[in-house]
Amino acid sequence: MGARVTRVLVIDDEAPIRLLCRVNLEAEGMVVLEAADGPSGLALAQEQLPDLVLLDVMMPGLDGWGVAEHMLEGEETARIPIIFLTARAEFRDRARGLDIGGVDYITKPFNPVELAPLVRGLLERLDRGERDELRHEKLTELRSLMSDS
Amino acid sequence: MDADTNAVLFNAVPLLLLAALSLTAAGLRVRASRRQGLLLTDLPAALLAGTGLAAALLGVAVLVEREPLAGRVWLGLVAILVAAAPVALLLTRKPTEPAVPAPAAGAGERLATGLAEALEPEELGRLVADAALERFDLDLVQLVLLGEDARTGQVVAAREAGRDVEWLRGLRLDLDGEQSGISAVVRDPVPLAVVDAPASGTISRRLTDAGMKSCAFVPVLADTGTIGVLVVATRSPRVFSAEQLAQLQSFVAEVAPTLARASTAHARLASAREAALLRATQVLSADVGLDERLSRLAAGLRDLLGAEAVDFWTLVPGSGELECVGAAGGAGAVPGSRAAPGDQPASGGTVESAIVSLGRPRGVVRAHLREPRRLSPADRSLLDGFAGLVAVALQSADASELTSEQATTERGFYRVASVLSEPLSSEATLDAVAQAASESLGGAAAALLRPAGGPLELAAWYELPEELRRALGGDPEDELTAAARSGKLLASKDLARETRFGKALSAAAAAAGFRSLLAVPLAQPRVEANGLVLVFFEEEHTFRDDELELAGHVAGAASGALERSELYELERRSRALAQRLAGGGRELASELDPENVLDLASRLAVELLDAAAASVWVLEGDELVLHAAHGPGAAAGLEARRPSTTWLLGDIVQSRAERTIADARRDARAAETDPLLEAGLVSYLGVPMLAPDGSVQGVLSAYDARPRDWRDEEGEALEALAAAAAAARANAEHYQGVRHEQQRSEAILENVADGIVAVDRDGRVVLWNPAAEHITGVAGAEALGRTPVQVLGRSLGSEGAHDSPRLVAIRRGSEEAWLSLSEAVMTDPAGAVAGRIYAFRDISSERAVEQMKSDFVSTVSHELRTPLTSIYGFAETLLRQDVLFGEPERETFLRYIASESERLTAIVDRLLSVAQLDTGAMSVQLAAVDVASVVSEVVQSLEATLGGNGHRFVVSLPDEPLPAEADRDKLGQVLSHLVDNAVRYSPAGGTVTVGARRADSGVEVRVEDEGLGIPRAEQERIFRKFYRGESGMRTVGAGATGLGLFLAEGLVTAMGGRIWVDSDEGRGATFVVELPAARD
Repeated sequence: MGARVTRVLVIDDEAPIRLLCRVNLEAEGMVVLEAADGPSGLALAQEQLPDLVLLDVMMPGLDGWGVAEHMLEGEETARIPIIFLTARAEFRDRARGLDIGGVDYITKPFNPVELAPLVRGLLERLDRGERDELRHEKLTELRSLMSDS
Repeated sequence: MDADTNAVLFNAVPLLLLAALSLTAAGLRVRASRRQGLLLTDLPAALLAGTGLAAALLGVAVLVEREPLAGRVWLGLVAILVAAAPVALLLTRKPTEPAVPAPAAGAGERLATGLAEALEPEELGRLVADAALERFDLDLVQLVLLGEDARTGQVVAAREAGRDVEWLRGLRLDLDGEQSGISAVVRDPVPLAVVDAPASGTISRRLTDAGMKSCAFVPVLADTGTIGVLVVATRSPRVFSAEQLAQLQSFVAEVAPTLARASTAHARLASAREAALLRATQVLSADVGLDERLSRLAAGLRDLLGAEAVDFWTLVPGSGELECVGAAGGAGAVPGSRAAPGDQPASGGTVESAIVSLGRPRGVVRAHLREPRRLSPADRSLLDGFAGLVAVALQSADASELTSEQATTERGFYRVASVLSEPLSSEATLDAVAQAASESLGGAAAALLRPAGGPLELAAWYELPEELRRALGGDPEDELTAAARSGKLLASKDLARETRFGKALSAAAAAAGFRSLLAVPLAQPRVEANGLVLVFFEEEHTFRDDELELAGHVAGAASGALERSELYELERRSRALAQRLAGGGRELASELDPENVLDLASRLAVELLDAAAASVWVLEGDELVLHAAHGPGAAAGLEARRPSTTWLLGDIVQSRAERTIADARRDARAAETDPLLEAGLVSYLGVPMLAPDGSVQGVLSAYDARPRDWRDEEGEALEALAAAAAAARANAEHYQGVRHEQQRSEAILENVADGIVAVDRDGRVVLWNPAAEHITGVAGAEALGRTPVQVLGRSLGSEGAHDSPRLVAIRRGSEEAWLSLSEAVMTDPAGAVAGRIYAFRDISSERAVEQMKSDFVSTVSHELRTPLTSIYGFAETLLRQDVLFGEPERETFLRYIASESERLTAIVDRLLSVAQLDTGAMSVQLAAVDVASVVSEVVQSLEATLGGNGHRFVVSLPDEPLPAEADRDKLGQVLSHLVDNAVRYSPAGGTVTVGARRADSGVEVRVEDEGLGIPRAEQERIFRKFYRGESGMRTVGAGATGLGLFLAEGLVTAMGGRIWVDSDEGRGATFVVELPAARD
């Protein structure tokens, strides 16, 4: 981890969740940006170009999938890794997240203490240029889960 | 011995001997032929008689001339005598000749005169032709006479309707060189008839050119052979019968000698004596009776001898007396007077000669001379010769008598023969037999009686008056029936004095003017009992043996005729029966109602047998039941029941064989057994109805109103009809079963909830039931005949296994419908695919529910996980050892934990309420509740939790309390849901207005939002479980479970209120809850 401060954008319509993320990421020395809905989150992402976006899927109006798709459209935002926060356990939704460009996902409820290490490890691997391997890993993982069920 | 003696001894004596022999032979021949019933024209007999006569006359001539015959005189005499013989024979028959029509008498007379006057051949030929034209109803007659060598011929006469046919007359024919009927007849001298002259190859074209269609060629025969040919022709086609040809031949034979004479010897007869002799001989051929003949002979002899008078005497058989039979001159005896042989001994003035006929003395010829003188030998010979002529005349008169009897017989035979020769119906034959019997026996009327199941019955008649018809038949005990039974011939000379036949018959006969009766038994074909032919006579008739013999022959012939017509009828009837059966079979086969089959069978039975009635008994268990009937008593008898062992019907069932009763009146059981026999029907024929499997189904019966002898073939035909009916009934029952089955299947298919679609081997729809219409939205009429791909836009079949239902999506109008579809393959007996049946149900709604459930699960999961995430997350955060949180932070965290826990509890409560609604376990505690206060509380509490989203809440309440009958907690829940919904489905910053007021029947609460509103189509659905509005309309809180409105409605209903929504799309929604007013 370099001298640069890691900036994470949290987009979620639930205030307690946003607070939870902020507290725990700031505790690890990261800078947290917040948005309560899709459109403002997308605007913030385009404006601030955070290192990573924690993105809630189920939001009224523009939902997480929509935000991710828009981010892929922008040249700069397309490079920002996304970790989906989802309450849904369906594999289908997880796969969709990865298709759209997310590189990982976290299923609610999650342990907020593990958030920062996850973000950090992910960024390190991406720095090493392992984005494709990462996605491949996650897809393989999904498939094995699907065939088990 | 002098020349005279020589002439007499060597010429006259042998000639007379020859004459006697010939005549005897001829007489015997005639008798023989009569016995054999041969045809009239007996050529050998005629020739024999002719020869006899010729010899007799020649003998007389020799005696007269006292010199041997020589040269042309001899020839001339031969011709004369040849002429005389057959003519004499024929003419004696003429008065009784049946074939000669009355008008012909004129022609016959002229002909006789012409013949007698010995005209020129042409003139003679003309007369002959005219006579033939008239007598035989012809259009053209020509007479051809042959040259001496018979190689040439000349048409001496050709006549047509009273005038000469000029182009034919005088025509010379080369018989060797041409093919013609004439040459054919000359070669083979028998009559030749040609029906279709234009088509014939054997005759010349002359007749055809003259417009003739049919013709006949008759040889003119003289003793020297064929001397000519008579050609007769008609314009219209005509078949010359054997009888007509015979008559033509007789006619020609009649004129042949004259023609021969005319053509050769006419001019030679010069001397007066010869002329007198000729006239005398011609007397024999004249068309007059015996008396006239004899008196003419007497006159001739008187003239020749120059005597005062001449009389002829014959022996009266048995008495020994002589009777004068002919006389000429006033001094002689009167015909009819009698004398003993010795009364008038020959005096000097009288000369006598014995009349010897056929070797026995018949009488005497006596000439009274003017003065006593010894006769010259010539006169003596003349006298003897005349005695011979008288003998011939008498002989021919005897023959004539025989012939007239023979003619009677023959006429009868002709009549019967002509009847026999045609294949007539039975009825026509019976009529003809009656007529033939009457005519042949010379009766005035005739009746034909036949046994009909017992007594004789009048079957046919001829010229029989009605009262006599009524008097005949019906009595089984009368003498006629007895005569028929015994086969005895019965003759009654005087019916008036007759007691055998009963008074009625005698009286009726007398009234009709009949005096005598002849009853002839008539053998019936195929029936044991005899019939009877009755012939009535107007005169008192004494029956001669030959008449009785003839009657027997007529009866025999009639039997033959009946037999033949019977066979003909049989064949005709068999054919008719077969045709009717075939027609009936077709009708039966097309009848599909079992009861109608029986009805039809009974009707067909009536038609088939021309019966008066018919019935069908059906075997039902131990009983026979009358199921169908046609005819008298039919209606009343229906449904009659008899034991299956009953007499007659039961016999038929048990023996599986037909039963007949010709006359059921004789058996009392008949009326007891069968209602139709009870109703007055008399005759019965019953056959078993055998089903195709051989079982007896019942009895098919036919009835008649009169006694009737049912024929074998009628029984067989009825049996065939019964079998056809039984088979048709089995088929109809089978068909009905199939039809019931089909109707049941159709009813099931009509009403089954599943869509059933059948396609044929080509994949075209043949069945599309109402459920299929409903599910697919495609009418059956539109689908039939097309393939599912054409109808639904996709195939229903699949290549894989068909054992489990598949899920198939089709388009139904604008939406997609999901079908759970099973498929069955139908195979034909050969194993090939004959079609497929698809059964499917619409699971679109089930699928939607599934989807909603699935969505619900994920929504609930989300709803639960969100507060859980906060609770768990803040707890973990607080537990962090590496970070020290300040007190305010810790408090915030803990408050979140608390509020999210409450949220979790509310969610669980809601799910619990749904479960209670589902199971009916929801209970409400009703009490008077102030709605206004509840509204205030709910809005306040929600403002706290939902206010963060920027909605503005407006509460509109009256000042007074609004008491309603409600459960306070439940009402709170309802209002929470409604407000929560209003917030979720309206944009941030919007106003949510909650109001309450008193309404007509209670209290009304309204929750208004400014959202997009609810489309009308959705307004009913929103209260369903799991239903959630389109996510696009939601603005806040993704966690709608789709249970809020469902719960709200459930709770309101439980409290006795109701809930509805007023909304227009785009203009917000207002949910209204109405609660009953609180009871005081």
